[in-house]
Amino acid sequence: MRPSRREFVKWFSAGGISVSLSHLGLAKEARFASHETLPGRGNFNPAAKGTGRVDGVAKVTGAKLYASDFRANDLPGWPQATSHAILVRANDATHVYTGVDLARLSGALKPSVVVTAADLERIGTQVPHFYAGDLFCPLGKTPLYLGQPVALLIFERFDVFDQARLVLRDGTFVKFGEETGPVIAPDYGSYRFTRVAGALPEKPDIYSPILAGWVSPKKVQNAALPVWSPLAKEMPADYTKAAKHGEQIRAELAAEDASLLVLDREFETQSVDPMFLEPECGLAWYNGKGGNLELVLGVQSPYEAAESIAHLLAKARAPYKPAHINAQFAHVGGGFGGRDHTPFILYVALAAICFPGKPVRLAHDRYQQFQGGIKRHPIKMRSRIGIDRSTGKIKAFAADHVLDGGGLVNFSANVAVVAATGAIGIYDIPKVDVTTVAMHSRGVTAGSMRGYGTLQTMTALEVLIDEAAGELKLDPIEFRRRNALKQNGRTMTGNPYIVSVRTPEILDKLEKHPIWQQRAQFKQASSDRLVGTGVACVTKDYGSGADCSLGRVELGADGKIAIFCDHVEMGNGIGTALANRVAGHLGTIADEVSVARVDSYDVLGLVTSGDPYTMDQKTQDAASRNPRWVPSISSATSASIGAHVGTHSSAEAARVIFRFGLWPAALELWRIPKTDPRARQWPTARWENGQLMMNGLEPLALPALAATAHARGFVTGAVAHSFSRWAWSRARFPLFGEQWRAEIDALAIRRGNGKFERINRSSVKFPPTDNNRIGTAYTSMCGTVVRVEIERATGALRIAKAYSVFECGTALVPEVVMGQSHGGFAMGVGYALLETLPPFEGGPGNGEWNLGRYLIARGSDLPLRDLEIEMLKPLTPDEEPKGMAEVVMIPIVPALINAIHDATGHRFRALPVTASLLKGVLA
Amino acid sequence: MTTLSLTINGQKHGPMDVRDDLSMNDFLREILGMTGTKFGCGAAQCLSCAIIVDEPDGTSYTSPTCIAPAVNFDGKSIRTVEGHAKDGQLSALQKAFIDHFAFQCGYCTAGFLNEGQVLLERLARAPVPREALEQTIADALDGHLCRCTGYIKYHEAVRDVILADSKRYLMATK
Repeated sequence: MRPSRREFVKWFSAGGISVSLSHLGLAKEARFASHETLPGRGNFNPAAKGTGRVDGVAKVTGAKLYASDFRANDLPGWPQATSHAILVRANDATHVYTGVDLARLSGALKPSVVVTAADLERIGTQVPHFYAGDLFCPLGKTPLYLGQPVALLIFERFDVFDQARLVLRDGTFVKFGEETGPVIAPDYGSYRFTRVAGALPEKPDIYSPILAGWVSPKKVQNAALPVWSPLAKEMPADYTKAAKHGEQIRAELAAEDASLLVLDREFETQSVDPMFLEPECGLAWYNGKGGNLELVLGVQSPYEAAESIAHLLAKARAPYKPAHINAQFAHVGGGFGGRDHTPFILYVALAAICFPGKPVRLAHDRYQQFQGGIKRHPIKMRSRIGIDRSTGKIKAFAADHVLDGGGLVNFSANVAVVAATGAIGIYDIPKVDVTTVAMHSRGVTAGSMRGYGTLQTMTALEVLIDEAAGELKLDPIEFRRRNALKQNGRTMTGNPYIVSVRTPEILDKLEKHPIWQQRAQFKQASSDRLVGTGVACVTKDYGSGADCSLGRVELGADGKIAIFCDHVEMGNGIGTALANRVAGHLGTIADEVSVARVDSYDVLGLVTSGDPYTMDQKTQDAASRNPRWVPSISSATSASIGAHVGTHSSAEAARVIFRFGLWPAALELWRIPKTDPRARQWPTARWENGQLMMNGLEPLALPALAATAHARGFVTGAVAHSFSRWAWSRARFPLFGEQWRAEIDALAIRRGNGKFERINRSSVKFPPTDNNRIGTAYTSMCGTVVRVEIERATGALRIAKAYSVFECGTALVPEVVMGQSHGGFAMGVGYALLETLPPFEGGPGNGEWNLGRYLIARGSDLPLRDLEIEMLKPLTPDEEPKGMAEVVMIPIVPALINAIHDATGHRFRALPVTASLLKGVLA
Repeated sequence: MTTLSLTINGQKHGPMDVRDDLSMNDFLREILGMTGTKFGCGAAQCLSCAIIVDEPDGTSYTSPTCIAPAVNFDGKSIRTVEGHAKDGQLSALQKAFIDHFAFQCGYCTAGFLNEGQVLLERLARAPVPREALEQTIADALDGHLCRCTGYIKYHEAVRDVILADSKRYLMATK
């Protein structure tokens, strides 16, 4: 089955609007297909030759790939002309908004349409719950946050739009009146994570989130921060229990105890921008009068984007309510979390709805991207750590985190949780108490960004650990080794990791590295510069606790493979990883790989209900009886799940094709009857250079096997869905007289050239809902040592040498993995030394920020020839791939701060540490 | 309005009337539909919008297009990312970028490709000693921003193209 672009799949219906999602590469028109689609369909695919990425040629030839590349006349069936919109945002959030003065847009420069809050009221839009808040600030209200949209200006012709945007560049046309101060809103979420281990490691915990659930204090007063005391009035019982344990831990840390080294420190991190290079952009066309709304978008979360737009318009009045929404998804020019659940897409849809019949393009410029794009949370942290002076073992840890979530809730509560549960890093600490609260502020909205809160908390921790080692006169690596969590040890929430824990190996590597070994020798100060060495080691979860994977694999009679996957290509090489993972089962690299495909799995007939994060077991068990039900259908490409989750269903689909297509074909070609014991030995078959090998039998080439499978009506295609809640769903499917067991929950197969048919599962075991109490179960580790040189006169810092070592199970595309580790290192350097956005009025919400003022790492900021990165080999040849794209950016940050301390004797407790700050402490 | 004529990837465009304040980036992307040249910052800081300008004397240089008016390119000959491959064959640098997995999201690739190509052509005219090569590459590419890669594989790709034809690009060693 290969649906044409016009054969859209109706996935869901919202308020009477049917919604479908498709992919840009599906057009049949030759001009479009030859120039503007990914490799495949006969185009050269360098990955098929064993080198390069599947999207390699497209990216070096300037093919249209990104949402920002498309105009109406690129899209078959659309009108030829493109109109353009400007999203006007508030640059003040302490005064009443009184309107936009467009007098300067006189005559021909007048916009064709101006959309404001009043228009939304008239249209009858409803804001999706996730983006709760006014989409446009209404007249007479103080903006909820800096950068809150106030109006959408639509210009029919590009020339008019282009001149108007120059005229409006300074933002002074957005008018404000009376001063009110900022809008005060409730916090976005507050939690307390407390664990008290048993007396011995093998004993059960006395208290933990796994045992007692996650707890949150009740809001008891209009205080800026939650009241964390267990004695506060009317606290929930579960919270009171956790808080009593927590307060006991804090009392022990505060007690006069000479045997315990206690450090009580604060650390503060800054707001930064993901600074993906392609500013957000979208194109939409509503044909008016209740017809179709077509969209071209570039997001990390396609399913969510379409769902949100459908919700937005579900109750719109005629003629603003479309009958059908079709969203097409492009590659994204960088994401880093910032395109996961972005409200930008709502405004793209509104632009088209408010200018029916005309395709409208809404594109941020860089100033607007800084003003309105999702940011990383700044976090203020206070941490207390208690260490037994005699053993050097950490006894207790308590911390309080306050996150600035900016103007909209977005993922603030989730980031707060991940940050908190990551706050003890690689360590085994028997008593832990961490409180966290994500606050609303008038700043630009913060949300998902690479590291997801743990970058901040683990930086604070690793700097604290370094200081503690110094106080104890212990080698920093030995101190870490002594306290590192072991394979079966329990994390802060009380569960062990279910993947390999390779911290000891990483610490050994760091310790033996020449940068560490030679640290004393290089520390010899010269008159003009200081030299210091720093180390850090961290672990970062991958996965979100409700991750989905959709995959479809097709094998042609000529042996060519096509793969379709719902995850998005944002530079992470998901397409190439898919090709490589499927090749492990089918023997060769796919001819065609199509990503961001959310339209290719209709045969599964999936349905869902409830919230996978909060559902109870009884509800899940009842829902599971429907063989088409799954806890969730599709999830965002984020949380470092590309390798682990994104490729999973395609790999399982390929396994089905091998077992029930290629293997029976091989038996025929080898003339082995089903009764022969060798007929059951398919697990021992292996692929070598595109040939299927079995000891003592003639090698068989894939095309011959594929031709036989097609001719005999064996399985030549499979579609699969899988779901992970810190464990994969497992199901049995009746296939050819046996029960096929796999880590998937929905399956369809194709025999020969037939149609795909759904195979109803005969049983399923979804991961238990109690797994939602887990902080994380999947994790990977990374450590870094770095040597810095600091000029005494200027404070200029140079990274002289650095070494990072990490593990990621089986690397599906080692070159991409290494590239991501390089990029993570660079982003970490920028975070530690360069990047910062001031909060509030002087910050990006004023619309005056751009590159040049905002610094990210350039090549000259990095040790391009002196950066060594080591990827540990998988523990076993079949070790599952592990997410690694986030962990690789974290340890360089605290390692740099620790190296700066080693060089200067000054321990910085806020980021970034700029040259001017360094110069200040050296003065 | 100004009448603009120019050559892009060997093909003549114009004469056509364009606004004096129309940026070259918008001329390429909005008027001609050549979106291989990207828009990143609009402030000539990231250079994802850089193109190659070929001088009559055979030399070339890169220019940002986001802040440059299109009319500044009247009469000029330029190259963009769409013009590097000839007759369906990728250039040596394009191949090297692919072989090295030099890019990830690829949004900055056009700029790096143009800058790297100008460097290759400059070195072909004025080779440098081998010991100066690393710094030469670093200096040439440093204006370009990439958020995904950490730059290392871009540098390695350019270096490998040069070393694969060292007689052309490097001074002969004594």
